[in-house]
Formats: sequence, structure tokens, C-alpha cells
Amino acid sequence: MLKRAKKPVSAPREAWQVQGATGRAGRGGGSPALAWDLARGRWGSLIGSFLALALAAGILSMTGLVFASARPQVPGRYAGAAVLVKTPSIGGEVNGLFYPDKPWPLERARSLAERLGRIPGVAAAVPDRVFYAQAVIGGKPVEGDTQGYLWPSAALAPYRLAAGRPPAGPGEVVVSRALGLAPGQRVTVLTADGPASYSVSGTVAGPGYFFAQARTGGARVIGLVAEAGADIAAIERAAQAVVGAEGRVLSGESRSATEPVADVQMRWFGYQILSGMAILVAFTAVFIVASTFAFGVAQRRRELGLLRTVGATPRQMRILMHGEALVVGVAAAAAGVALGAACAPGFGQALVDLGFQPRSFAVEIQWWPMAACFAAGLVVAQLGVWAASRRAAKVAPLEALREAVVDERPMTGGRWAFGALFTIVGVVLGVFIAGESDSVIQYSFYAAGSLIVGLSLLAPAVIPPLVRVVSWPVRSGAIGMLVRQGALTAVRRTASTAAPVLVTVGFAVLVTGMVETNVGANGLRRAAAAQAAWVLAPQGTPGLTDAAVSAVHGSSTLPTTVYAGSRPLSAAGVAGRNRAHVIAGDLQNLRDGRTMAVAEWTAREQGWRIGTAAPVTFEDGQSMRLTVVAVLEKPPADILLSRQAVRDHDPTALTDPVYLAAPTPVPLDTAASIEKVTDRMASIEEHEDKLVWVFVLILVGLSVGYSAIAIANTLMMATANRTTDLRVLRLSGATTGQVLRTVALESALVVAIGALLGIVVAVTALVGISTGLTNMIGMTVGMILPWPIIGAVVGICLLLAIAASVIPARTVLRPPRP
Amino acid sequence: MTSTDTVRLWSVSKVYGSGDQAVAALDSVTTGFAPGTFTAVMGPSGSGKSTLLHCAAGLDRPCDGRVVIDGTDLGTLTENELTLLRRERVGFVFQSFNLVSALTAEQNVALPLRLAGRRPGVAEVRSALAEVGLAERAGHRPSELSGGQQQRVAIARALITKPAVIFADEPTGALDTTTSRAVLKLLRGIVDQQGQTVIMVTHDPVAAAYAHRVLFLADGRVVDELTGGPGAETIAARMASLEVAAC
Repeated sequence: MLKRAKKPVSAPREAWQVQGATGRAGRGGGSPALAWDLARGRWGSLIGSFLALALAAGILSMTGLVFASARPQVPGRYAGAAVLVKTPSIGGEVNGLFYPDKPWPLERARSLAERLGRIPGVAAAVPDRVFYAQAVIGGKPVEGDTQGYLWPSAALAPYRLAAGRPPAGPGEVVVSRALGLAPGQRVTVLTADGPASYSVSGTVAGPGYFFAQARTGGARVIGLVAEAGADIAAIERAAQAVVGAEGRVLSGESRSATEPVADVQMRWFGYQILSGMAILVAFTAVFIVASTFAFGVAQRRRELGLLRTVGATPRQMRILMHGEALVVGVAAAAAGVALGAACAPGFGQALVDLGFQPRSFAVEIQWWPMAACFAAGLVVAQLGVWAASRRAAKVAPLEALREAVVDERPMTGGRWAFGALFTIVGVVLGVFIAGESDSVIQYSFYAAGSLIVGLSLLAPAVIPPLVRVVSWPVRSGAIGMLVRQGALTAVRRTASTAAPVLVTVGFAVLVTGMVETNVGANGLRRAAAAQAAWVLAPQGTPGLTDAAVSAVHGSSTLPTTVYAGSRPLSAAGVAGRNRAHVIAGDLQNLRDGRTMAVAEWTAREQGWRIGTAAPVTFEDGQSMRLTVVAVLEKPPADILLSRQAVRDHDPTALTDPVYLAAPTPVPLDTAASIEKVTDRMASIEEHEDKLVWVFVLILVGLSVGYSAIAIANTLMMATANRTTDLRVLRLSGATTGQVLRTVALESALVVAIGALLGIVVAVTALVGISTGLTNMIGMTVGMILPWPIIGAVVGICLLLAIAASVIPARTVLRPPRP
Repeated sequence: MTSTDTVRLWSVSKVYGSGDQAVAALDSVTTGFAPGTFTAVMGPSGSGKSTLLHCAAGLDRPCDGRVVIDGTDLGTLTENELTLLRRERVGFVFQSFNLVSALTAEQNVALPLRLAGRRPGVAEVRSALAEVGLAERAGHRPSELSGGQQQRVAIARALITKPAVIFADEPTGALDTTTSRAVLKLLRGIVDQQGQTVIMVTHDPVAAAYAHRVLFLADGRVVDELTGGPGAETIAARMASLEVAAC
């Protein structure tokens, strides 16, 4: 009794009740440390969460480092220009397409350059004009930089002459030393007009083709080369005073604003793909961590009950679970971030090779993306453990005294409510909304994600009837009966194992099915658009020259960019018959350089009607009023112009493929080929498919990898906990073989259920996609299910599940060593 | 039964199920447990002895009646307050699965203190382990300890908060005779030397013989009581008569 009196809480009732009321005692300072001790003692069962989190943190930090490194860079050919003056407008992005800035008319650029050149300390002010140029050597166009410049632009890099002299007349060109040509040799160079023969006057140690004169559009950049020792800041100020609102003055790193539109576009594609990947990875990681922890709670009910009995409050139980997640999260995020940093440079190079990043791209290891991804790893772990911690807090102290194996209430009210909500949202998104929307693909992804979450939540309710159906064929034998009853009794275990299979199969089928359905739709669209049997297509060049187009008789478009105010619009020059569907007006009136036909979306956006005379700026910087003569339903560009109007204002535009009614010989030196339209589509698909399939395989590979972790983890934990069951089976007269077959069959059953649910999810989303595409292109797009991939994914899951359950079961059944 | 009892039950009833299927596990039980005494609760299977323990310890709430531990009426407490009361005033020893498998003996013993937010001193924990004769096994996990050793760690853990009462549910049920004897001697020792109050549920007359007092339960009622440290034979005879009556 004396000893009791020494207790810190001497007036027991009042003391602890006060503490309880203020919540201080419930917080329990020992909990995080206790979580650490608990986590340390059961590393084995936390390995699954660790791997899932480490993988997620690794991929996130890899993509994070790529994002952080993917910044605009100062183009190499402006390296020697201390100050750049650029047109004020920013071309920018419209619906995922990037447009170049609105240019200055040539005369304006020249007069600005002349005034800029007079600034003290400026050695030269060069209006930079860029156009298409590409040498043809041995009948084949030379790959690499396909840009032509006027000779003074070479001073901006500066690219100095390696041999020979500057170009002196219209027949001379300076080429890159890398072409292997010597001064005095002749070379065929393609420009927008067509192939022409030039005399090489000199070579430079840089890319590109330098001419003495050329017909070009307007200029977008004026480069200022400073004299040695000149005050750059002073030049900047003076230049700003000269151009005023007519230009932006850039120096140092800010010169990166002049990077080519193609690079910006490429980086944007890369960004889309990487962010998709990062979201998928984070989502899956939360999911896997959640199911691993939830399963851990279900398996540790007795231990958790014991903790409750010896005095852990529900709040402490939650803190304990979050603490365990923190311990795993810190370890996994640190490992993952280190792994990500190690892999990032290789990944960056792979993105460049695949064409998702410009050639100049290289990954820089920076600390802040790594710190952010470390934090993200911790957040993912905490999100994952959230539901499990709430469940752990509800464990009653009495459960420490029970031999509970039967899941008494696998479905809670919250589980029903959220499961139903997510499933309904998923179905509505997939079947009704995605089909009607312009962003079919995004909505279908949301639909699939929502369905996956919903079905996983509902799994304990959905699984018993499914088990009965799927196990019908094997119900009569002893093993069949055991399998059925096992799966039905331990609903939660069955659900935890089926969920990752559901996610993997769902994603794999959805992603691959989506790509195949889309490719099918693209094929249909092209075939419909062409209505021609043959096509003259560029080979190794970005487009066709006028010479090539006029050598054959077909229909084609000449694409360019025009500006309504500061809004860039895609425009296409057309000649002859055009099949665009006319809503209002008459395409016959599209004749001279003062008329245009506009897409219905452009008319709506700009408020244009038939007869509107709207001011439009062209590629050469000239502005004029064009009259709307027709509104079209689905033209190939925002605006259609006459081919001659485009050519007059954009001397360097290249033509898209020419569609022909009959095959004709390929014109000389055009770097083009005549193909059947159907073959042409196949080859386009091959090229696009290569990129898309690499991406798809990365995604599917990732989700299969995740699933592998989750399945193996759950089944190993489950089998280890069933030691008694398995021994009892063995003692009741089952041979070891029969017990192992029971275990294997149970795993197969679970995988079958997961796969079935996964296919349901994917098909729902694919129905949305094919309806959406059907509405979009006005033709029936069939849904394509990639059976080989479904088979492979299900097969891998099956093998893993059987291995992860049979191997530990065999270890358990092996007689103990003496 | 006096007002100084550490644990008192007033007409405690517990009914499981409802309607026709209702089973009365406890039927208006009134009894008390004096400080510094060792009481054994005995009875045939289904007599309600485990339910009595659960209700008396605040692990389960009775349907009717009052339970008072160390002056506190459990009926007035919220779930959270009940947890805190268990943590500070009550110790538990179970038949099996007593220890958290991931924690060492030392960590298991320190668990209630850490849950209370106290940083347990190494000496405090070591001396608790030394009291049960396990000073040198402090760093071992439960899987590295024998059944008797695990039970002694559990007793050390129950003692660490210096509780008002220790509840033991078949503490020797999973142990062999020799080990059982050692565990029971230990329990009797903490009563005799430290003035601890122990309430033990058991079906083993030999175990019950270590107690000062034996309560007999049948059909949810206290039907008999032996005091003054009855011998195992007496207890066994009384049990046998109860079991015959039940059939």
C-alpha cells in the first residue's frame, strides 16, 4: 500500500480524469518512439509497404529531377549575342499546341536593327531570319539541323569560318563542316521552293546553312554583338529605349525565351507524359500502402487489443499507426530518392532518345526536387495509413482475448458509402460523360481510377458471391470445398489479395485498350480524310517543297501560322477542290489573298461571321483585313486561305503530304516517295506507335511491378499467419501435396476474381472512349481489347500469387529440424 | 465486503443476445475484493467467470449494476477515461498472447508507462524484471522466451504501473506443472510481500489453492465461497459437486 501511495498519480481518480478531459494523457509522449520499436520488431511484414513507397519515391524523384532540369535554354546559335531583342508577343500554347511569336515585318526589323547598331558598344545588330534549308547528298536529305540563315546570323553564335569565305552571291552557301564538303564543291540544297544547286563557298564549325540572300518571312529576334569590354547593362538600357513597346530586351539566362517552338512543344509532351506517370505512381503507392497497412491491422487485432487493454487510448492507436507509417516512410523515401537520383541521368537520356526532350537536355541533380519527393513519400505513407489507423483505433480491448479468425464485419458503413460513391462516379464518368466530352482520355482515366477505388472498397461485399460463382466447377472435391470456405471466411484476406490484381489488370487493359482503340480511330480518320489511293510523302524532310508539289497533280495543304491580334491561329493554304463540310457561305469564294474560310470554333471564339473583314497578321509580319467567305465544320486548320496567299506571306512554308488519285513518278531530288495511302497510314502508325508503346509498356510495367509487391506481401503475411490451419489440415489426413494444392487453388481463385473485376473496370472506361471517339470523328469506332496483354498480366499475377502462397506454406509444413 | 474494497461489484448482470436467445452470463453478482488479497474465481465452463473478470476489469460493460475500482464507478466513465483507468490502476495477465511479439521483454514491461507518456527509467524496468527473476533476459523477444518466462514478463508488466489490482485470466492455462507452480508462487508473493490485490480466474484447483479466498460461480451467480486458504483437495471436491449439479 505504501508503494501505491508513492505513485505520481496520488489521487487517482481526479488526476487521470483531468488528464483525460484535457487530452494530454491521451497524446502519450512515448508513442512515436513506441511506433519505432514496433516497426523495428516486425520489419518482415512492412517490407511490402517499404518497397512500394521506395519505388514511388524513386520514380517521383527521377521525374522531379527531370522536371527541374527541363528549363528553356539559350539557343547555341545566340551564345555570342550578349543582348537579344525579341518581338513583344509570346506565341504561347493553345490547347496543347505551341505557336511561334508574332514577327516584325522585315522593313521594321531592319530599321530597328539599324538604330540598335548605333548604340555605343554594339559591334553588330543582326535581324535573325530563319527558313528551311536541307542539303541532299547522294540522293538522301541530310538529317540534323534543317535551318537556313543569312550569313550575318553566323556572328551571333559566333560560328567562325573553318575554311573558305562567306557566301558572296545567290549561288553560294556556307555549310557545316560536319557535312564533309570542301569549298568549291557543289551541293544540292532543298528550300521551300525546291532543290537547287549551290557552290560551297566555305564551312563553319556549327550547324545550319548560311546564304548571302534569301526570301524569308519576318524576323523575330535581333541579336546584338557587343564590343569587347562593353557595358552590357548600358546596352540593354539603350536598346530598351530604342525599341520601347515594340520589343523585349533580353540578356543572360533570360535569352532562353528565344528557344525554338519545337523544343518548347517537345518539352510539353515530355511534361504530359511524366506528370501522368508521376500521378499514376503516387496513386498506386497510396493504394498499395493502404491495403498493406489495412491487412496488417486485420492480422494484428489481438496484439492491438492487447495494447488497448494495457492502456492505449484510441487516439494513441492512431498515432501509433501513423508513427509506423512514418518510420517506414522515412526509410523508404530516403532509399527511393537516392535511387531516383542515381537513375535520373539515364532516364533523361532515354527521354531525349525517345523524342520527349530536346537534344540539348541533360539532367542536373538539384537538392530541392529531391527534398520535395522525400516529403511526398512521407505524405503518401501517411495517406496510405489513414484508413488503417482509424480501424486500429476501433479495436476493442477484449479482442486480445479472442481467437478471432472469422472477419465479423468486413464491410463498415463508411466502406459501403464510399465504395458505392466511387463506383457510381466511375460509371457515370466512363459511360456518360467521357463519351460526350472533348477530353475523352482524361475523363476515362478518372473513371477508371474512381472505379478501381470503388470496387476495392466494395470488394468484401462483392467477393463472396463471386467466389461462389468462380469456384462452382471445383465445389465437390475436398480441396474445392476447403478453397471455397477458406476464401469465404477470410473475406478480408481475399479482398486484400484481389485488390492489387484488380488495379493491375484494370490499368493494363485500360491503357493498352485505349491506345489500340485510338490508333484504330486515327486510321479511320485518315482514310476518310484522304479519299485518295496514293500519297506523295516527304522522306527524311519536314515537308514537301513547291517543286515537288507542282510536279504532281494532287490535293494538299500548305500550313502556316497567322495572328488575329495576339492570338496565334493555325492556317492552311488550299488549292482546288476541298472536302471540308461547309456550314455557311461558299468555299468557291476563297480565291484571292483577301478572303478566308474559318472553322466554326474560330468563328465562335473570334465572333466572326460571313462578311466580317478581320485584321490578320501573317508570318512576314504584314497585317491586312481578310473577309470571311465560309464557315467550315471540321477543316484541317483554324483558318483556310488560298494557297497563293500563304505562299506570298510565308515564303518558307512546307507542304504536307500530297494526296493523289493515281501513282506518278517521284520528282527528282525531292526527298519524297509515292505510297499507297493504306501503307502510308501503317508507317505513320508505326512511328507514333513506337513512342506510345514505349510509354504504355512503362506504365503497365510499373503497375505490374506494384502489384507484384502487393500480392507477394499480402499472401506471405496471410500464409504465415495460417500455420495452425495448415497443420490441422495436415493432421486431419491431407497429404502435404493436397494442402499445397489447396493453397495454390485458393490463390488462383483470388487472382481470377481480381482479374474479372479489373476487366470490368477497364471495359467500362473503354466503352466511354470508343463512344467519345465515335462522336468525335463521326464513324463507329470499335473497342479493341488487347488479349495478349491481358493474358500476360493475369499470368504474371497468377504465378506470383501461387509462388507467394505455396512457398511459405511449404516452409511451414516442413517438419522442424531436430 | 467493506467500503475499503479495491474492487466492488453491485448486482452486476450481463446478458448476451436478445429475445429468446438471450443468455445471462452474469446474474446480479454482488461481491468485493479487499486490498492485499489473492482471490481465485472458479466455476464450470460457461459459468460466467470470464465475463465476471471482463466486467470487473472494465474490459466489458455490464448490462446492469455497478462496478467500482479503487473508488471510481466505471459506469460514469467514457471509453477514453476507462482506458486511462486501466492503464493506471489495473494490471492484466492472460493465458497466452500476453506480449507484443515485436517488442523485447524490457520494452513490453515499459509499455504501460510509455503509453502514459512517461519515459521509463532503465533501473525501474530492470528492477521490475528482477522481481520476477528475469533480469538477464531483458533484451529478448517473446519468441526467444519459454512460456513461463513470457508469463513472468507479463506479470512484471502488470506490476510496473503499481496498479490497484491485477486481473489474471487462466495465467497457468498454457504452462506445465512446474512452471505453473513458479508463476503462482510469484503471484502469491506479490500479494504477501507488496500488498498487491490479485483476482485470478482459473479452473485448476491446484492453482486456486494459492489464493486466500476462492469464489465459485455457476450459471452466472456466486454459489459458494471458501476462505482461509483452502487446500486443493477441498477446492476440487467443491468444484466436482458444482459440475455434477450442472449436469
